Amino acid sequence: MAFSSPVPAAERLPVTVLTGYLGAGKTTLLNRILTHEHGLKVAVIVNEFGEVGIDNQLVVDADEEIFEMNNGCICCTVRGDLIRIIGNLMKRRDRFDHLVIETTGLADPAPVIQTFFVDEDLRDELRLDAVVTLVDLLHVQQHWFSEEVQEQLAFADVLVLNKADLVDDAERELVEQRVRAINPMARLLTSHMANVPMDQILGVEAFELERALSLDPGFLAEEHDHEHDAAVSSVALVEERPMDLEKLGRWISDLVGSRGPDLFRMKGIIQLAGKDERYVLQSVHMLIDGDFDRPWHDGERRRTEFVIIGRDLEPDGLRAGFAACVA
Amino acid sequence: MAQAPLVSERLCGDLQQPITALAWSADGEFLAIASAGGELLLLDFRAGCEELLRGEHNSSLDVVGFSDDGQFLMAAGQSGELLLWELGGTGVRPLAMGPMALGGGWIDAAAWQPDGLLLAVASGRQVRLWDGALRQWREDPLALPGSVQSLAWSRDGGQLAASCQGELTLWRPAEAPEGEPPLRNSIASAGLALSFSGPGHHLACGLLDRSLLVWPEHCLGQPWQFSGFPAKVRLLAWSDRSGRLAPLLASAAADSVILWTQINQGAKAWRPEPLLCHQRRVSGLAFAPGSTFLASASVDGTVALWNGKGHLLQVLEGQGAGFNNLGWRGDGRHLAAGDAQGRWWLWPVTTPAAERSHARAGGGFKANP
Repeated sequence: MAFSSPVPAAERLPVTVLTGYLGAGKTTLLNRILTHEHGLKVAVIVNEFGEVGIDNQLVVDADEEIFEMNNGCICCTVRGDLIRIIGNLMKRRDRFDHLVIETTGLADPAPVIQTFFVDEDLRDELRLDAVVTLVDLLHVQQHWFSEEVQEQLAFADVLVLNKADLVDDAERELVEQRVRAINPMARLLTSHMANVPMDQILGVEAFELERALSLDPGFLAEEHDHEHDAAVSSVALVEERPMDLEKLGRWISDLVGSRGPDLFRMKGIIQLAGKDERYVLQSVHMLIDGDFDRPWHDGERRRTEFVIIGRDLEPDGLRAGFAACVA
Repeated sequence: MAQAPLVSERLCGDLQQPITALAWSADGEFLAIASAGGELLLLDFRAGCEELLRGEHNSSLDVVGFSDDGQFLMAAGQSGELLLWELGGTGVRPLAMGPMALGGGWIDAAAWQPDGLLLAVASGRQVRLWDGALRQWREDPLALPGSVQSLAWSRDGGQLAASCQGELTLWRPAEAPEGEPPLRNSIASAGLALSFSGPGHHLACGLLDRSLLVWPEHCLGQPWQFSGFPAKVRLLAWSDRSGRLAPLLASAAADSVILWTQINQGAKAWRPEPLLCHQRRVSGLAFAPGSTFLASASVDGTVALWNGKGHLLQVLEGQGAGFNNLGWRGDGRHLAAGDAQGRWWLWPVTTPAAERSHARAGGGFKANP
């Protein structure tokens, strides 16, 4: 299932999904977003009015209710009340130009992400800009093995390592390393009191294919032997030889068909045999989107880079399947 | 079709923000129009005046309605409060009652009981009832397992239907709390639209999973299920003219309107007739009272008029902005619609003779504004 909309991205309203475990600083960041002079009128959807500026008429409340679209498979869940509330809010669209959705600390980010690709109304009116996950540097290691923490890390396009003032460099580096092992493709920011440059979290366009990949260069360079100490991990695949689109497409659709619920995010830039353009591809669970991008630049290293983030991944099997897609 | 056009003149006016809801009073003397900016305009046709009951509040109003006896006007929306006005009849300034906060978030579904004074309001996962006779809330709200997506009264006012993800509940609140407990039907998806027919007391429910359920006469037995719609089924309308087996039913999903006729009993009982005209999502759907004459509005900026056989009779265009809703006056001779630029439209309509049965009496307007 492709998840792109026929409506051009520029005509759709950008949405940022804000996740993070309890106490990571989501409310602080939301208040910054609402008060910061970034020139954007931002509407915020929260799950319950808390300390977020409630006198602001563009802060609204939605029930964090999950609709199962198909036999309870995680890949087919959406946030039902969000559809209703955003439908109402979109009638006032000229009042705001960016939407931020806060999820509770214990929420799985997948349903909210999928809502924007599965729902027929939201798909054509909105575009997911990025999933921003706040990480509490001081406490995250205590909750490391919680499913929610791992999913929130796995789905992120931007990871904000917050409370940097409360840990020393060694601790911060350790967390960074563990976070990177789960998610090598998110942009990594470090902050104190959730004070991050707004242009690094709003207007990221992480779900736009042309911006699909911003891999940590180190991650691909080293044959990484990060400790895979969690159920959720990532596998980075690099191939210098051109690939065959048909084989690759078949492999990926078989993969999501059999492992969809465990595959959180995939992103790749593909070098296809006989093509001068890069092919870019990304997925969220069973939603897959791929298209030709710009031509390879002169002097650019032509190769395929592909990252899979998921639960209980088997790197050897994935490498073998991927290698079989060489043209 | 070489006939005189059904519509040849119009009235219009402007609010500041997109029109989100409109409603006629039962006697057709008043039209209330609400906007996404929180404006509420009341047109009083007999007195020939209009009054802005609420200016821009930067907080959307999304549902509006008159009590059946014309005593009250309600509006609700983003603030989660119920707003009520007491109406003193034509030419009398409405009296605002204090707003009532329900604490359940954005309200977009509320409906007055036909032939009664109960007002049902969906607030979060509850349906609350305000009793206009006692001017107070009924104590026991109806609780649903999910946020209420839609609610509807039966035409006799005896039964209230409410739906959410997974459940459609039928309730007889006039008999509560001593009466029967609510009847809870499990449904496969979220019920987004509900509508009872007048003749026959059928119930139709449009679902998120692109299907439609229709319960037979008196809501007894198993529903028919229709699937294969191009999108969620978000609007339903019944003609209030009796059919051979059931009145005509119209459904809207994305840009597609379908007219349904019951042709026999049993499994393949209903014949669908696709009505092709709109290019984009259909946002309003209603039969003219007392007839099989159907109007559909779309965000593509058109309103289409259809006869009971599904033939397109006329297309009305506004100023290019998409239409958000429409509503017939009780006389079936005036159609109102609201658009995404905040303009409301009012068209006097000549109902084709074949579609009329015994159209109710209804006076003309004094031209205004």
